[in-house]
Amino acid sequence: MIRVATLFWLVLVSATGFAMFGVKYQVQALEDELGRTKRATTAEEHEIRVLDAEWAYLTRPEMLDAMNRRFLSLSPIATKQLHTTAADIPMRPVPPAPVEAAAMVAAAEPPPPPGASPNSPEGVPTLTAALIPVTATSEPPPTQSALRAMPALLERPASAPQLGKAAPVKAVAKPATPHRAKSLDDLIAQIMTSR
Amino acid sequence: MVAVQPFADNPCRPRHFKPPPCAPVVPEGPARQALETCRSRLFLTSLLFACVFAAVALRIVEVVVLEGGSAQSHMPRFRIPAPPAPARADIVDRNGKLLATTLDTPSVYATPKQILDPADATRKLVKAFPSLKSGDVYAKLTSGKSFVYIKRRLTPREQYEVNQLGIPGVQFQHEERRVYPDGTLTAHVVGYTGIDNSGFAGIERGLDDTLKDRRDPLQLSLDLRIQYVLREELQRVIDDFTAKGAAGLIMDVNTGEVLAMVSLPDFDPNQPGASDPDHPALSFADRMFNRDTLGVYELGSIFKIFTVAMALDYGTSTLASTYDASHPINIGRFTIGDYHGKHRVLSVPEILMYSSNIGAAKMAMAAGGQKQREFLSRLGLLKTPKIEVAEIGSPHYPGKWRDVNVMTIAFGHGISVTPLSFASAAAALVNGGVLRQATLVRQPPGHAPQGQQVLSPKTSEQMRKLMRLVVEHGTGTMAAAPGYVVGGKTGTADKVSGRHYADRKLLSSFVGVFPINDPKYLVLTMVDEPHPNKQSHGYATAGWTVAPATSRTVQRIAPLLGVEPVDESSPEIQRALTVDSLQGKKIEAY
Repeated sequence: MIRVATLFWLVLVSATGFAMFGVKYQVQALEDELGRTKRATTAEEHEIRVLDAEWAYLTRPEMLDAMNRRFLSLSPIATKQLHTTAADIPMRPVPPAPVEAAAMVAAAEPPPPPGASPNSPEGVPTLTAALIPVTATSEPPPTQSALRAMPALLERPASAPQLGKAAPVKAVAKPATPHRAKSLDDLIAQIMTSR
Repeated sequence: MVAVQPFADNPCRPRHFKPPPCAPVVPEGPARQALETCRSRLFLTSLLFACVFAAVALRIVEVVVLEGGSAQSHMPRFRIPAPPAPARADIVDRNGKLLATTLDTPSVYATPKQILDPADATRKLVKAFPSLKSGDVYAKLTSGKSFVYIKRRLTPREQYEVNQLGIPGVQFQHEERRVYPDGTLTAHVVGYTGIDNSGFAGIERGLDDTLKDRRDPLQLSLDLRIQYVLREELQRVIDDFTAKGAAGLIMDVNTGEVLAMVSLPDFDPNQPGASDPDHPALSFADRMFNRDTLGVYELGSIFKIFTVAMALDYGTSTLASTYDASHPINIGRFTIGDYHGKHRVLSVPEILMYSSNIGAAKMAMAAGGQKQREFLSRLGLLKTPKIEVAEIGSPHYPGKWRDVNVMTIAFGHGISVTPLSFASAAAALVNGGVLRQATLVRQPPGHAPQGQQVLSPKTSEQMRKLMRLVVEHGTGTMAAAPGYVVGGKTGTADKVSGRHYADRKLLSSFVGVFPINDPKYLVLTMVDEPHPNKQSHGYATAGWTVAPATSRTVQRIAPLLGVEPVDESSPEIQRALTVDSLQGKKIEAY
C-alpha cells in the first residue's frame, strides 16, 4: 500500500517537473518570438516613416511642377473649361449611322490616363488632386462622361436598328466589337490600343 | 537524556507510528519541562515558516494575478523593446500631406579601445563617408578615449553601409531629427526645431508643448497646393519688379482658417542657418522674418475700406454722401493730396474706386476720431493678433488720436498693423460682419469658430458692392479674374524711413475677396519696395504689381477650392452687386 502511494507521488512529481520545464521553455520561445516580432514591427514602422517622408519629398509641388513641365505640360484649368450646370453641356450629336460607331470610339477624345487628371492644374500635386476631389461641386470632367458613354457604344448590337437609317447592316461586320473590358483600366487600355 | 515513552509526543516520531491508546503520562520533573520547551520552540519555528511561505504565496498571487504577469519584463532576458514613441508629432496640411516629421537619424560612434585595427577601420569608414578626412578619423580611432563620434545624423542608406562594414567597436547612437520634406515652401508657418528637437520658430515653437505631447499628426489649415501657387506668384512679382520682399495670405473668410501664408524671402527649415545659394547677400534675420505675422506695416490705401465701413456703419455717411476732393488738405506740416486725382466732388463709392485720400480723410473727420478709434479697435486692429505661430507683431498707432492722425489713418498712414490682423478684419468686413480669430489649425468641416459681430450685415453687404466696384471700374481692374467675381482694394503706401516718408520706396498691397457676391476666400498680397519695369509703364503701384498677381492666383486656386465660375454679367450677379446710389447712372460718367 505504502509502496503504491509513494510510487504514485513519485510519478506525479516527476511528471509535474517535466511538464513545468516543458512549459517554461515553450514560454521562453514564445517570449523570444514576441520580442523579435516587436523589434521587426518597430523597424518596419521606422521604415514606413522614412518612406512617408520620402514620398512627401518626391511629391512636393515644386517637383511635380517640374515633372509636369517636362512630361505632361498640363496647364491650369481655365474658366471656360468648367461647365457648372447641366444646361452648359452640349448634347451628344446623334450618330448618323451605326457604321460610324466604331469610328466614333476611336475618334472620341482619348481619355488621358487616370493619374493625369485633367483638372490638376500646372504645378499642383496630382497626388493630392487625386485624393481630394479638386472640383467637388463642378460636373465630372469630360473624360468620365466619355467613358460612361463608351460601354454603351461597345455593347450596342451590330444591327442597331434604332440608329440604322439606310446604312447597310453588313458594313458593321468589320468594326471591331472588342470583347468587353473587365474593368475601367482594361477599357482605357483597349481604347488606347485601338487608336 | 529522557528515555521514557520516546514516541508518544515526539514530533520526530515515524509517521505511521500509532501511539498506544493511553498516552503514558510523563511524570513531573525536568523531563516534562524539556518536552514543553521543545514543543514551544517547534511551534514558533513552524509559525515562522508559515509566515514566510504565506508571504511567498501572496507575492506569487500579486505578481501573477494582480499585475497581470507584467513582472516578467523585469527579467533582462525577456526585455521587449517598447516601440519608441515619436518624440514629436508630425505636422500635415489640410489634405494630410506631410509638412514635418521626425525621423530616426542614428549617429555613428566608435569606442577606440575596442577597435582592433584602426588603420583598416579608417580606410573602410572613409570609403563609406567620402566627406570624412582619413587623418581625422585615424586620430579619433587611436585617441584611446572610450567614445568618439565618427559622423552624426546618418541617412538610412549610410546606416546600412556602416552596418555592412561590420567593424567591431563602431556603433550607432539613436537620435531623432525633424525633417521638412517641403523645404522652403512652408518655412515661415511650420518653422523649425533646434538640435534637441524643441521648436525654434513658427508652429513648431508656438505649439511646442502640443507637438511634444500628442502622437497623432497635427493638421494645419494650410493647403500645400494653394501655398505653392501663392508663393510662386509672389516670387514672380518680386522677380518682375525687383522687389525686396513680399508677403501674402489666403484665408477662408467664414472660418478664419489660413489656407496659405507666404513670406518672402524665406529659408530652408532643414538647414535654417545655411545661406540661400541664389541670394547669398540676404541676411539670416531678413529671411527668418515673417512679414505676415511679425511685420507691422503702414498698409496705405487698402485701409480705406475700414474708413468707409466705419462711416457707413455709424451712419455718418451714406453711399450717396459726397465730399469735395478738388483741393489738397493742408494740416500742420502735412499736405494730403490724391494720387489718382479727379479734382472734383466725389461720392463715397468714387472715393473708394479712385482711392481718394482727400475724400477718405474728410469722411473720417466727419465721423470723428473717437468713432474711428473705436471701430478699428472693434475690428481687432489695435491689439496684438493671436495665431499659432510664435512670431507675432503688435500694432503701432498714435497714443493721442489727433485730427491729423484721424486723417492719415483714414488712408492707412500713421497706423501699422500686421497683414494678418488686416486680413482678419477685412474678412469680417465682407462675411456679414463677424470677426473670427485667424487660425492655422484645421477646423472640423462645417464648423465655424465662434465669432463676434463687429458691424452690421447691411454695412458688410455695401462693402462687398463697393469692393466689387473697385475691381470693375476703379484702381484694381487688373485683379479681375473672369468668372470668379473678385472684389478688392488696392493700396500703395510710401514707406517710412527714419522719421520721414521715403517717396521712392513703396509698399504695394492688394486685398481681394472672391466670389464677392458670396464671399468665400480672401487673398491679401503685399510687395515690399517694387521697382517699375517696362511692362508696367513705369508704375510700381498696387494696381500694376500685386493686383495682376491676385488675378492669376485666384484663377489658379479657385478650381482647387471648388469655387464655381459664374457668368459675371448674369442678371443675378449684377443685381447683387449694383451699388444702389449709382443705379441708373453710368460709371464712366463720373
